[in-house]
Amino acid sequence: MPDTAPSAGFWKRNQLRIAPILFLAPGALMFLIYVLIPIVQSVWISFHDWDGLGAKVWIGLGNYAELLDDDTFYVALKNNLIWLALYLLAIPMGLAAALFLNQSVWGIRLYKSLFFFPFVISQVVVGLMFTWFYAPDFGLFSQAIHWLTGAEVAILADERFVTLGIIAAGLWPQTAYCMILYLTGLNNLNPEQIEAARMDNARGWRLLWHVILPQLAPATFIAMVVTVIGALRSFDLVSIMTAGGPYGSSQVLSYFMYEQALSEYGYRMGYGAAIAVVLFLIMMVFITLFIVRMIAQERNR
Amino acid sequence: MAEVSLSKVTKNFGAVSIIKGIDLEIADGEFCVFVGPSGCGKSTLLRMVAGLEEISSGALKIGGRDMTQVGPSDRGVAMVFQSYALYPHMTVAENIGFGLRMTGHDKAEIAKRTAAAAKMLQLDALLDRKPGQLSGGQRQRVAIGRAIVRNPDVFLFDEPLSNLDAALRVQMRGEISRLHQDLGATMIYVTHDQVEAMTMADKIVVLSAGQIEQVGSPLELYHRPRNLFVAGFIGSPKMNFLTVAAQPVAGGTEVTLPGGGVLRLPGQIAAAGPMTLGLRPEHAQAGGAGDAVLEGRVKLAEHLGSETLFFVELADGSEIAVKADGLAPERPGDEMRVGVPARACHLFDAAGLALLNGDLTR
Amino acid sequence: MFPTPIHKASPALRIGYQVLLPVALVIWLIPLIGVAVTSVRPASDLAAGNYFGVPSGLAFENYAAVFRDSPIGWYILNSFKVTVPTVIGAVALSCLTGFALAVYGFRANLWVFFAFVAGNFIPFQILMVPVRDMTLKAGLYDTTLGLVLFHIAFQTGFCTLFMRNFIKGLPFALIESARVEGVSEWKIFRHIVLPLMRPAIAALSVLVFTFVWNDYFWATVLVQGSHAMPVTAGLYALNGQWVAAWHLVSAGSIIAALPPVLMFFLMQRHFIAGLTLGATKG
Repeated sequence: MPDTAPSAGFWKRNQLRIAPILFLAPGALMFLIYVLIPIVQSVWISFHDWDGLGAKVWIGLGNYAELLDDDTFYVALKNNLIWLALYLLAIPMGLAAALFLNQSVWGIRLYKSLFFFPFVISQVVVGLMFTWFYAPDFGLFSQAIHWLTGAEVAILADERFVTLGIIAAGLWPQTAYCMILYLTGLNNLNPEQIEAARMDNARGWRLLWHVILPQLAPATFIAMVVTVIGALRSFDLVSIMTAGGPYGSSQVLSYFMYEQALSEYGYRMGYGAAIAVVLFLIMMVFITLFIVRMIAQERNR
Repeated sequence: MAEVSLSKVTKNFGAVSIIKGIDLEIADGEFCVFVGPSGCGKSTLLRMVAGLEEISSGALKIGGRDMTQVGPSDRGVAMVFQSYALYPHMTVAENIGFGLRMTGHDKAEIAKRTAAAAKMLQLDALLDRKPGQLSGGQRQRVAIGRAIVRNPDVFLFDEPLSNLDAALRVQMRGEISRLHQDLGATMIYVTHDQVEAMTMADKIVVLSAGQIEQVGSPLELYHRPRNLFVAGFIGSPKMNFLTVAAQPVAGGTEVTLPGGGVLRLPGQIAAAGPMTLGLRPEHAQAGGAGDAVLEGRVKLAEHLGSETLFFVELADGSEIAVKADGLAPERPGDEMRVGVPARACHLFDAAGLALLNGDLTR
Repeated sequence: MFPTPIHKASPALRIGYQVLLPVALVIWLIPLIGVAVTSVRPASDLAAGNYFGVPSGLAFENYAAVFRDSPIGWYILNSFKVTVPTVIGAVALSCLTGFALAVYGFRANLWVFFAFVAGNFIPFQILMVPVRDMTLKAGLYDTTLGLVLFHIAFQTGFCTLFMRNFIKGLPFALIESARVEGVSEWKIFRHIVLPLMRPAIAALSVLVFTFVWNDYFWATVLVQGSHAMPVTAGLYALNGQWVAAWHLVSAGSIIAALPPVLMFFLMQRHFIAGLTLGATKG
């Protein structure tokens, strides 16, 4: 086969250079089309007035200017900050749960699985469960509050409590997630280090703080990443439990964006895209921090 | 014919230069050992011969053909890795035959060659096992079998024995040497263990910091080290180095030892100056017989049964090791006189190059 | 082990712990237990105000009613039609990309890798308008295929991170050894690396199954009619119809939650291995 020989030679010589491109191509192409390019497109659309069907009208920073005058935007932004702050409670709560469950008694494996349960369930279902839980008159939570304080509260209809109520629902699966991360971390502790610390008379809190937590740092990092991202991504629960209400008081940026872009009162794609860009920029701050840390780790390998 | 020849070969990782210009000829059928401390570049050099690392500049020829730009599979080499690199999901037979299967050999041929390799390495009974079920020595043999089955011109070994325990290491050393005799192929073997190098090699290449310090037969390196590095690296326990003053005199060289003793060495040097005298522990004479005497005090005695190793502190605070009879009576704290035989002494100049070699084979 | 094993503690503490475990579990799972109980509570109980007392009977007919009177069976089928192809597609693609990024040291390697990682963290909303538009134009709006394609692409980010780190953990000498033996790169992937990736493939499959099954956002963005609607979005729609029919909502919730829960219990080890990747080593 004289005429195939040169091409075979070319392939052989350049195999190591071409192979990675071929392996990478299908996945990278999909990712490019569905993830990376749309980010750029969204930024572009955010400079336009667009109903999703007709022609895009360039309005420059018009959408952003409008955003600055939109009260709902500030409510959403404030709520996002509350989400972020309170969601982080999942980390110490998850650690506490992990410490509580890190024993070897009979049936502990099943207990661990059942404690982890909330994470496996769809947020839609979690939202419905908590809606039921919070329901005025007959919800277990409302009943408990009534029994304890005598007050009647409808958590999800009360502007003061609604966001806290939704966050509590979100903390339920998130705590389970952090717990499983810490359980794995605890499982992989260096036993000799703990024994050495015990011989040095470290106990309880001091042992936890000085010896255990530093060893759990990788788990804490992952827990931070998933919790921060989870807090800023919060959409499902808001959509299911309140749809942003009452009177927009439980709005968050992700739901606000969805509502504006696909609302019943007309599609405002450009305005929605502008909200998405703001959310994206906020998240980029965290994503950058995470990536910088990951790069540092890669370099140290 | 599969001689391996490297000329002006270098390797850079970014701005860092790992291999700094290697010229080396390895003859067909020769057993050549690259030895040196960790980080000296010996494994990198081997991997460059294998084609696993690109050659930054210079040329590599195997069997007269320029292989500098040729991929690893076309160089006619086979490699045995330190970790053995056995495929954990395949049986011993599949591991040995894998390369042949992937390069399109027919089944009967693969089976025949696998069986032959297995027989040679006494793996016949283990062919259906997975690597996880083998002992370290057996895994090592499978790794070698995988190399043999391809009939390579050149075998490359990357510290193949470093994961084995001491006894097994001695045994495998013998087996690899026997294999070399049976196959007659060119072999390049990397190790940091100078005992492996001395016992197996036809030719040793001592490397340090990406450069060749010396090339030679084991005994050549032992008796005629070219510089301080090689003198210190080859031989165990390590050669003693004493700071001395040396000057040329009629018919020889006069050396002033620590403590004031004077030693006359055969052989001429060009100029006087501060120098380093090298004396192997096995040539130092406990008890004081020799051409000059060093006086000191025993600090530590290691009794090995067949011999005793004394560490003796001299008057100027320097310390030398002395290998003595296993029944030598001295204890730590005792005075000891150490005899220095002139014909076993090496003399190195201030730059570390050997001026005189106490070559006992002469 | 930390904390100190309980069997080394005093008997009182030990018994206290054994008692506390189930109590804590019940409190932790109260919303779930409440919904589970409600799902088998007869409608008459709710009408009579018996919301969380002992049910007057076990009304499995709630489940029958949900299947009979709502398209939830159809929604479940849609969820499978979205989830299963996504798992296969995303895992297959990421085996390839993970291999490329773990094994080859080309210049853009780390950048490509971090693009995948970062893409994985971005808010969905930044993709929503263009992806919806693209799906509309491709005629895939309101189809399960439209959802599948997006999910495959998006999950490839996470899966690539996972696969790349897994392959990095394999001894590189395996690959080099095969290269010296003249094995082509594709065959190295196919015959050496892929067989060793089985645990990673299992872990990822379970995880991606759960993620995609539980997706709600894209199910509402890319699907409108019930013929392609997955069960998460479907459940939300049904919730609107079943106002205050909590026994039906509860039964529907349990049905929707069941497949990932079963998956979790059957493949628990793989699931947790996947989820906690990176939680133990730096």
